[in-house]
Amino acid sequence: MIELFNVDVAVENFGPLLAGLMMTIALTFVVIILSLVGALLVALAGMSRITPLRWVIKGYIEVIRGTPLLLQLIYIYYVLPEIGIRLASFTAGAIALTLNYSAYISEVYRGGIQAIPAGQHDAAAALGMTRGLAMRRIILPQAIRIIIPTLGNYFIGLFKDTALCSVVSIQEVVFTAQIIAAQNFQYFTLYTVVALMYFAVSFPAARLVGHLERVTRAGYRRRHP
Amino acid sequence: MNDRQSRPMIEIEGLHKYFGALHVLQGIDLSVAAGEVVCIIGPSGSGKSTLLRCINHLEVAQQGRIRIDGEIAYRDEVGGVFRAHSNRAVSAVRAQVGMVFQHFNLFPHLTIIGNLMEAPVHVLRRSRAEARRRGMELLAQVGLAEKADSYPEELSGGQQQRAAIARALAMDPKAMMFDEATSALDPELIAEVLAVMRDLAGRGMTMLVVTHEMNFARQVASRVIFMDHGRIVEQGNPAAIFASPREARTQDFLRTVLER
Repeated sequence: MIELFNVDVAVENFGPLLAGLMMTIALTFVVIILSLVGALLVALAGMSRITPLRWVIKGYIEVIRGTPLLLQLIYIYYVLPEIGIRLASFTAGAIALTLNYSAYISEVYRGGIQAIPAGQHDAAAALGMTRGLAMRRIILPQAIRIIIPTLGNYFIGLFKDTALCSVVSIQEVVFTAQIIAAQNFQYFTLYTVVALMYFAVSFPAARLVGHLERVTRAGYRRRHP
Repeated sequence: MNDRQSRPMIEIEGLHKYFGALHVLQGIDLSVAAGEVVCIIGPSGSGKSTLLRCINHLEVAQQGRIRIDGEIAYRDEVGGVFRAHSNRAVSAVRAQVGMVFQHFNLFPHLTIIGNLMEAPVHVLRRSRAEARRRGMELLAQVGLAEKADSYPEELSGGQQQRAAIARALAMDPKAMMFDEATSALDPELIAEVLAVMRDLAGRGMTMLVVTHEMNFARQVASRVIFMDHGRIVEQGNPAAIFASPREARTQDFLRTVLER
């Protein structure tokens, strides 16, 4: 145990670990897209005038919030096959993360939509816009601008949460490191490289979110050349 | 007064509105003829704003009948309550009556011309070119042509309210309602908005104006209505109302506001 960090091991395994990171990033983007849409549908359904629909949505959100994400992953991958639903590991991971993040992000959408003053709804209605048109053209564009920084932070969290998908054997970066470490026992080197990889993505992403936060807070102004 | 006032544009019969146990409108009957400028005055809480909001169905009255240009609005011919119409039918009626709010309520994410084009393009299905042409015409009318590409928050309160008036006019409404349009403005900005409203009255627009500007009511209104506790207490031509109000409540109110 003379040197903890073995440069040769790091170089030798950099390729496979990078492939794992790419899988992590791919999974993150798939879930971002699915949950952006899913959360909007959940948020709108949760504000619907149809009472039973609101109850179903409320129940779904409470179940997701009241159970661990790890358990949700395991449930979808290991329990559903017992009732005949067999999913590939990537599909199972993407579904579990989407269900989880859609629930949380729907609350972000809801908060953003409710932050728009009632006067905006009144003005849109008085101009003859239907509820749907007003939502699409007037309310959502303003709400989305408000919630962009919050969404950014959620997605950085998602990027890190994908590590849990190692339990459903998606070949993302943590699972890849586990497999290699099981053969050469170079834990320190391998997991340090993995940590640096996560940091190399999430640190710039956090800076970008900070920048977006300043931009969106600045208000609506004409861009003077 | 003249022949263009013969056709009733807004007619209200027996309108009642409750907020819970609070009886805000206690049987309002009112008819506004085409080309008429009706100013509604009265103490705060008298139901003036609620009346305008009911005419636009932003509040739903529990009882009564509203006609816009002869058509029964917001309910069935036979139904006893305001519920029957679809979202789309309600919107179609609303589009015929312009509304100007105390707090302007411009859309902050759109430019001024964007605010004016939004409903004509998406509700009336006009072409963008046509909507822009008409919008620029209206901005010129309210003195804001050079602000077309600015965003609302770059404008003063008076400019924002003038833009909001132009936005309502862009729908070519049959009538315009003003809900305390100058109450949120700094005193030095009130005159420019009143000037636009006066100009509009001069062009023959049918107007229903809730206001605290007694001079405006005195000079511009064809009829002044005094409301208190959800009822129309007294109405008449401005000279009569301001010079010799009959009802004690009207006298009290006018004494209070005119002594300021």
